[in-house]
Amino acid sequence: MGDLWRSLVRITSFIGKELRETLRRPGMLFALVLGPFLVMLIFGLGYTGQRQPFATEVVIPPDSNLPRETTFYSELAPGRIQVTAVTDDAEAALQRLEDQETDLVVIAPANASAQLRNGEQTEIGVAWNQVDPVYDGLARLAVSTMVSALNAEIIRQAAAEGIDLAASELGPRVENLSPDVIAEPTTATTRNVAPTEPSVVNFFGPAVLALVIQHLAITLSALSMVRERLSGQIDLFRVAPVNALEVLTGKYVAFALLSLLVTAVVGALMILVLNVPLLSGYLIALLIVLLLTFASLGVGLLISLVADSERMAVQLAMLVLLASVFFSGFVLPVQDFIGPVQYLSYALPVTHGIALLQDAMLRGTVTEPWMIGALAGIGVVLYLVSLLRMRTILRGTA
Amino acid sequence: MSAVSRRFNGLWAVRDVSMAVPAGSILGLIGPSGSGKTTTVRMLTGTLRPTHGEARVLGEDPQRFSRQVRERIAYMPQLFSLYEDLTARENVGFVAALYGISWFGRRGRIQRALSVVDLWDARDRRAGDLSGGMQRRLELACAIVHEPQVLFIDEPTAGIDPMLRRTIWEELRAMRDEGRTLLVTTQHVAEAEYCDRVALLADGALIALDSPDELRRSVFGGDVLQIDADRPVDPQLVANVGEVIAVQQAEPRRLIVTVVQAGLAVPHLTEAFRTAGVGLTSIDEYQPTFDDVFAELVRRQRTGKEQAAESTDG
Repeated sequence: MGDLWRSLVRITSFIGKELRETLRRPGMLFALVLGPFLVMLIFGLGYTGQRQPFATEVVIPPDSNLPRETTFYSELAPGRIQVTAVTDDAEAALQRLEDQETDLVVIAPANASAQLRNGEQTEIGVAWNQVDPVYDGLARLAVSTMVSALNAEIIRQAAAEGIDLAASELGPRVENLSPDVIAEPTTATTRNVAPTEPSVVNFFGPAVLALVIQHLAITLSALSMVRERLSGQIDLFRVAPVNALEVLTGKYVAFALLSLLVTAVVGALMILVLNVPLLSGYLIALLIVLLLTFASLGVGLLISLVADSERMAVQLAMLVLLASVFFSGFVLPVQDFIGPVQYLSYALPVTHGIALLQDAMLRGTVTEPWMIGALAGIGVVLYLVSLLRMRTILRGTA
Repeated sequence: MSAVSRRFNGLWAVRDVSMAVPAGSILGLIGPSGSGKTTTVRMLTGTLRPTHGEARVLGEDPQRFSRQVRERIAYMPQLFSLYEDLTARENVGFVAALYGISWFGRRGRIQRALSVVDLWDARDRRAGDLSGGMQRRLELACAIVHEPQVLFIDEPTAGIDPMLRRTIWEELRAMRDEGRTLLVTTQHVAEAEYCDRVALLADGALIALDSPDELRRSVFGGDVLQIDADRPVDPQLVANVGEVIAVQQAEPRRLIVTVVQAGLAVPHLTEAFRTAGVGLTSIDEYQPTFDDVFAELVRRQRTGKEQAAESTDG
């Protein structure tokens, strides 16, 4: 009982020390708590989610009977393109595209109706000038939408001609046919059955929270251990009657408390100020936050084992942050990566944290329960590795 | 420790050092920077494994200290290793908790430890805001808060002004008086005076181990007297007096005389001066500085090495 009591005293010594050290740095605490919230606030207020429509020039050959009003073409893909001019000079339009004065050039086929009547496929030429892969994809989408609409218009015109011709031959039997129905026989009725309305702030809020928790835990634990290793404090632990389990447990508990504190404040600001929903309730969210913290602390301790200076520890923590932004599903879906890279994604605690928190907060459930196990697994493995390493540091002498 | 050596990258930091520290005494481990003092302490605290040899502290191998022994020892490292963002009281409290002292038992001990090093008034100041001397004293408070039986204190007076050095040594001697055993390293040779026994290290080797007085005697071959006359005096005046081992003219009117035993030599010397008609102003025991003692011991050790090398070559 005496040994257990003394062990608890030692563990609490680390908890108290870590908490005091962190809370004594108001600047850091301010950055930890208010920083992420302010980033989200500015992001939420400043990001519309709507991209500027592509400035588009439409080339209609001189002998074509297609419309020549810019508004007509702008309405073919509303919000995606803005037709700045309709011209018959393809060469000049392509030169303006090359000079980046316009984003898109659409060249309608010459004599489309005649080709259609002859049973020939017409060809719509489209050109754009993009190096940004995201905008390249959006241009393709805009073009696809516009070309579909243009095709429908060509079919509509041909159908109207055909109906007129058939009506003169067959009379009222074809008079009820509509060129619009022939060109676009179906229309879609859409609805999103998700329990929350998609919004940029709602979607990225849980992701930012997960990223903050991971980065906080990694930075705090890595810096704390590296500092103690390099400044000689570890020598005190080596001589004192303290073991690796007590040191690690004390640090884990302290950083978990700090993480919960930051999460509580940032989470409350997100929910109360930015109106991000929390459909799952607090318990599931708390479980996810604790597991994410547990696994992230392991990453931080792993960094502290390989870093030989505080600067290196910070650099490695930033590297993990960068990897997390790219591979965690924060920006790009994990499923878009090839298999081996997905393993890297799933090795990052934040990948599971983002998916689980987004599910819990926005859907009110956990659709991928295995991710809870994965987070716990990462945490346990890293804890054991850290424990072994700490034992070597404390008792395995140089 | 018995024949303990430690090698780093092919170079011997400590070579074949054997010594014992009597309980309830201060052993001063003295030597210039790089002489192997810290390496020796680290081997004794279990933070460094000897390449050869065997060490025992409280009957246990430092590599396998039991928790019970760890609770009875303390280590104050050479570099400031406390937490700058914590106050003096919190730092001492943290170390006390490391030794398993509960919150209730801690309060009195923290006050006692900080009072011993005269830092109680600065208890709520952050360690990072304390002066260098106060930081060293704070570390000392941390080292004694769990009331250890054996203390390893590495360079407690490094970078400290002479007045404060004396205060720190007074604190260390007070701990010794309470029955604790202290192994203290210092590169200030003069601080050997404060120790019960002195181990002199040079180039990783133990070149002398004895009490300060005995070391002096061993270096100078006997007691040393300083004789002042009322006029210039020739050293030959006392050279042939019985008991005299060596005479050195320090000044025209002052002789430094090494004798077998001061008590027996003084009457003979007084008689020699009276016979020669030279007035004696004073005869006092002369305390050669420990810098002189250390310099002489190092010189002898190096001469011995060179002679050994020459005889090997020959």
